[in-house]
Amino acid sequence: MEVLQYAIRKLIGGIPLVLGVTFISFLLMVYFGPDKTYELLGKNPTQEQIDEIRHELGYDKPFMVRYGEYLKEMATLDFGASDSTGEPVSKVLARTVPISLALITPGFILGNLLGILLALIAAYHRSGPIDKYIMGFSVVGMSISFLIVVIAFQIIFSSSYGLNAFPVRGWNVHSFSDYLRYITVPTLATVFVALGYNTRFYRAVLVEEMTRDHVRTAKAFGTRPGKLLYKNILKNSMIPIITRIMFSIPLVVVSGSLIIESYFGIPGIGKVTYDAITTGDQPILKAVVGLTAVLFVITLLITDILYRVVDPRVSLK
Amino acid sequence: MSSEHTAPLLSVRNLVVEFSTRYGPVRAVDDISFDVYPNETVGIVGESGCGKTVTGLTLLQLIPMPPGRIVQGSIKFDGRDLTKLSEKEMQEMRGSDISMIFQEPMTALNPVFSVGNQMIDVLRRHKNLTRRQARELAINMLDTVGIPAPRKRIDEYPHQMSGGMRQRVMIAMALSCGPKLLIADEPTTALDVTTQAQVMEQIVKLQDEFHMSMILVTHDLGVVAESCDRAIVMYCGNIIETAAIDDLFHKPQHPYTRGLLDSIPRIREERVAELPIIRGIVPDLLHLPDGCRFADRCPRATDECRKDKPVVNIDPVTGNGVACYHPMG
Repeated sequence: MEVLQYAIRKLIGGIPLVLGVTFISFLLMVYFGPDKTYELLGKNPTQEQIDEIRHELGYDKPFMVRYGEYLKEMATLDFGASDSTGEPVSKVLARTVPISLALITPGFILGNLLGILLALIAAYHRSGPIDKYIMGFSVVGMSISFLIVVIAFQIIFSSSYGLNAFPVRGWNVHSFSDYLRYITVPTLATVFVALGYNTRFYRAVLVEEMTRDHVRTAKAFGTRPGKLLYKNILKNSMIPIITRIMFSIPLVVVSGSLIIESYFGIPGIGKVTYDAITTGDQPILKAVVGLTAVLFVITLLITDILYRVVDPRVSLK
Repeated sequence: MSSEHTAPLLSVRNLVVEFSTRYGPVRAVDDISFDVYPNETVGIVGESGCGKTVTGLTLLQLIPMPPGRIVQGSIKFDGRDLTKLSEKEMQEMRGSDISMIFQEPMTALNPVFSVGNQMIDVLRRHKNLTRRQARELAINMLDTVGIPAPRKRIDEYPHQMSGGMRQRVMIAMALSCGPKLLIADEPTTALDVTTQAQVMEQIVKLQDEFHMSMILVTHDLGVVAESCDRAIVMYCGNIIETAAIDDLFHKPQHPYTRGLLDSIPRIREERVAELPIIRGIVPDLLHLPDGCRFADRCPRATDECRKDKPVVNIDPVTGNGVACYHPMG
């Protein structure tokens, strides 16, 4: 009950944020954005023709009215049709968002879980050889450009020079085994890149927590080092860990999928956004920017509730 | 208390603890020996950095290793040399045979687990109990240390309790497995004065009830006077004086002990313009003098003191001893 009240309060509190983000994006992308008038007109248009087209496109309306219309589109999730394909934006989203989520989720979860696991192992063997190996590999993972990793993995797993076991590009999924075949290489590439950052970050958090008084107390009462780590230390480190995981969600969904999808030719929301930016496809951009803002608010809300779950000192008041 | 008939429960001999630092190894504890007899309370006093806390932590091997290291010496507890036990055997010892209470009750308990959870953990680790049994026992212990409504408070988190309450929880946790020796490291320093007295009283009372020995590490001579049978005075990693409590307070032998006692603020018969202090500063552990470490601050120091370090000679009858060429007598 307390959580529900809190959630409602937070959602209401998120409204100004959504308004702010949409206002800025409206200003930059719509008001000062690409002007379609001359694309739609023939050669040597008359002033009347120009005015007519501008009226049709709604360019002649006052600023606040146009912003109001944008907000209405946001609220009803009706963004009109894509300028380049003519397909309704809601349909485009319904088609591409699930693909992106299906593509990104496994790598995101694996990257974080493995990161925490490796960080626990490294922290347990702090300053020992195992710690140094893990940290060394993390630096290697962090230092290699994502693009190189993608190309190398494509050669290793998907070409006749390597295993040739997985498709290089595309998304032709009709069954679960198809799904696994198509996501394997992208997932491996994302995990490889994310793992270095994650492991280093999580290890730093754990090691910091290890120096706390309560850890010494637990030790003084005979707690085994392993249990000390996964119970006493891990739970106390959850706040920074949750913060990192949750705050990376909007980024991963938007920009992460953009790179992977364009390299693997997967028709997800990232690819659609990329194409929309390059062609100035306003309806799609409006939808993506607005929904990302909403996603941020929801992520913040869930993050706060998760803080409460792991730390009793956090109040939901 | 140190009689010829009973064997000591804890016997520390020639213990040396070193920490490696950037500037070279530092001896936080340098060649100390002392005994603790069954049911006895021994106070270890001294100013900050004298090695008293490190001594307490070393007994349970809780100093971080590295950089810390036991260079030499033995810690015989109940017939076993703790320095020779494996880490696993040490874990079984911690919290069951030897327990420890820490200074900061605010940070010493785990903030994200309930008090009950932490207590039950300790009980189940050392005793063969079901969760329910352990919980009942934990509630009993909380009741014993004077926490009101323990059945309700056991499910609370440390941040929901006051400092005194948290320290009581620590005590309850420390005593729950019936230890033979309790090491209390400044157990009341972080508490306000009234709470200090209550908590100290509780510790002394329970010590009697549980028939255990206690090492009380503190800089508070008042607490030592009230609760200890014997005290060990440490200075720069050395033991400089050890004596039964009455002897120590009425006839301090070492000029340093005398200085400590004189500098306690109290109601005096005549007005003093200024509280007596021990002049000078504690020497740096990296650059210790060859002779007596207190010589530079000592009003009675002679050339002899600066040449060779005096050692503690224990009187076999009284059990008292002092490391000084010119004791106060």
